[in-house]
Amino acid sequence: MKKISYERYIDLWGWFFSLFSIIGLGLFLFYPIIYSLYLSTFSTKGVVQEFVGIGNYIRLFKDNTFILSLKNILIILIIQVPIMLILALILAVILNDKKIKFRGLFRTAIFLPAVTSLVAYTVLFKMMFSTDGLINQALLSMHLIKEPIPWLMDPFWAKVTLIFALTWRWTGYNMIFYLAGLQNISYEIYEAAEIDGANKVVQFFKITIPMLKPIIVFTSIMSTIGTLQLFDEPINLAAGVVTGSSVGPGDSLLTPSVYIYNICFKYMPNFGYAAAISYIIVIIVAILSFIQFKLAGENE
Amino acid sequence: MKRVISIAIVSLVILSLVLVGGVYSGNVTKAATKEGKITIWAWDPNFNIAIMNEASNRYKKINPKVKFEIANMAKADVEQKLNTVLASGVKTGLPEIVLIEDYNAQKYLTSYPGAFADLTKHFNYKDFAQYKVSLMTLKGKVYGVPFDSGVVGWFYRSDYFSKAGFKANDLINITWDKFIEMGKIIKQKTGKYMVGFDPYDGGLMRIMLQSAGRWYFDKNGKVDIANNPVLKEALISYKKVVDSGIAKKVSGWNQWVASFNNGEVASVVTGVWIIGSIKAEKSQSGKWAVAPVPRLNIKGSVNASNLGGSSWYVLQNSKYRDIAIDFLKQIYAKDIDFYQKILIERGAVGTYLPAQKGKAYTASDPFFGGQKIFVHFSNWMKNIPSVNYGLYTYEADSAIMAVMPDVYSGKLSVDAALKKAEEQFKNKVGQ
Repeated sequence: MKKISYERYIDLWGWFFSLFSIIGLGLFLFYPIIYSLYLSTFSTKGVVQEFVGIGNYIRLFKDNTFILSLKNILIILIIQVPIMLILALILAVILNDKKIKFRGLFRTAIFLPAVTSLVAYTVLFKMMFSTDGLINQALLSMHLIKEPIPWLMDPFWAKVTLIFALTWRWTGYNMIFYLAGLQNISYEIYEAAEIDGANKVVQFFKITIPMLKPIIVFTSIMSTIGTLQLFDEPINLAAGVVTGSSVGPGDSLLTPSVYIYNICFKYMPNFGYAAAISYIIVIIVAILSFIQFKLAGENE
Repeated sequence: MKRVISIAIVSLVILSLVLVGGVYSGNVTKAATKEGKITIWAWDPNFNIAIMNEASNRYKKINPKVKFEIANMAKADVEQKLNTVLASGVKTGLPEIVLIEDYNAQKYLTSYPGAFADLTKHFNYKDFAQYKVSLMTLKGKVYGVPFDSGVVGWFYRSDYFSKAGFKANDLINITWDKFIEMGKIIKQKTGKYMVGFDPYDGGLMRIMLQSAGRWYFDKNGKVDIANNPVLKEALISYKKVVDSGIAKKVSGWNQWVASFNNGEVASVVTGVWIIGSIKAEKSQSGKWAVAPVPRLNIKGSVNASNLGGSSWYVLQNSKYRDIAIDFLKQIYAKDIDFYQKILIERGAVGTYLPAQKGKAYTASDPFFGGQKIFVHFSNWMKNIPSVNYGLYTYEADSAIMAVMPDVYSGKLSVDAALKKAEEQFKNKVGQ
């Protein structure tokens, strides 16, 4: 028998060991991707399938409920993500200042919401923002409002509540990324700027933001994807409705992910249509990420 | 050394394959024997689960060899699990018996043909309330065992109502318009709201629809929203309730239950299954009473309706199917004493008609001021008009609730709103 060379021997073992992850990847990553694309060409009622080709995708453009869910997340995306990221950036810069006492304590406090359970904090917000809840009582006793605000009873206020909740939960999380990024900007640059007569505000816009650009792009893409996949918060804020008729007042908290869930498990189970929706979400995420990369500049 | 490692790896892989294979090949025994384990999926530990525990203990006396495993899950989890397992096409992992909400019965029966056992020949369905039986019938075959009724009552605080000058007889056989008028007087004289009301919940709408024998769909299951006079009347009533100020607006189940437990509202209009939650506030004992549900101001509407309710279904491919059917037959279609016990202990109004002659149904309840409430409920139950819930109740519900903000604000007329809702519904289900 011909002796196998050492390199070849190592090579085979290499293949042997990677085989498991290759099979795993194929089975649990590539197969579902391909299969869901195949599935999205069927209209299903449970196990009763009917081939419709691109019919599901055509149907999506006429489905007002789906379009409403897109509108809902676009509103949240346009309002909540910028507020959150700017807030996170400002907090990061403040807490990066070496002159501030108890920096660690403040950083921890602001990051803490990010480790709470999604469901637990949403339920808490639901309680706080109920008509007789803490927020309304506080506002009433401070004479800021005359009547309780219908936080979760009105389509507009329901979205405001959702935005508050999301901002509370995720600002600290993004702040940590910025803090990490700030450690890489050397202190000498600021020193030099100070000598040249640049004040803090100028330093912020001319040094901090340009130097943090890659991280800003990263956080905005992550937040965009997160928002498009929003599920836990809306479903728990809205879980209220006594017999589950709408997701928030007038479906104002309906997101595509919640809609997908409803199509699979609450409505007539149409897995094909749900697969088509998830593909549309993937395409939207891809387009938005691409735009953000382009806006951020060329070489990131 | 390398040899040892490679042998170890190879034998590990082989071992694990053998183990996996062993699990999958399984051992399917025929269910002809009287021995076995019945698995049941249901929700609500204080109601369905407790009742099934009682039922299984009774069956163990008839057939001591049978074991039970009663799994308590949230309703959404039962539905999700049932959907995923049935859709994946595997034959294992399903229970013998599952609880299905009546609104969803046709949905499951049509989307998973062959998954549920045909029980037509096993039960005498004349003994059950007809409106329940028709919900579980598909192409002439009956697939379920009717269980609890969602017969609707108007629960009210007799102390508040008498303070406002109303007698019990004033509440009998009234319309929703009268209801709203009374609510205004209650509000004026006692300062209490008439009801706790979630403006984006379709429950009350379904109560109104069924009281007139209509639904979001016609008898053939075709969508009937835009030109449905009953639905139009229901929408108008919703707006009236909101505009009149008789309703304390609540969001969600907890707030809703709190609204009557803490005495803020004078009445609750909902299914009989709410009794447990009303009685949970013991300090209000003796202050409650029951009247028939108001009817719509439209021809054909009666003072009886239904909200929710569920039934038992047997899985066709389950291992101990025959025992499961026998179990349901012995207890749910025979044991009258069982129905008395679950009525007293859980407030469960079964739909097995012979059981309603039992003594528990005529007992007076001190919590409700000594009223014989279940006599009334079983009478109303017989008058509930039968409707076809179709396949898409929840889709229709949410299509209508999506236009309600514009109805409340007056941006859309009721006719226009219904038209929009029908369009939205059709797009949603792809019709």
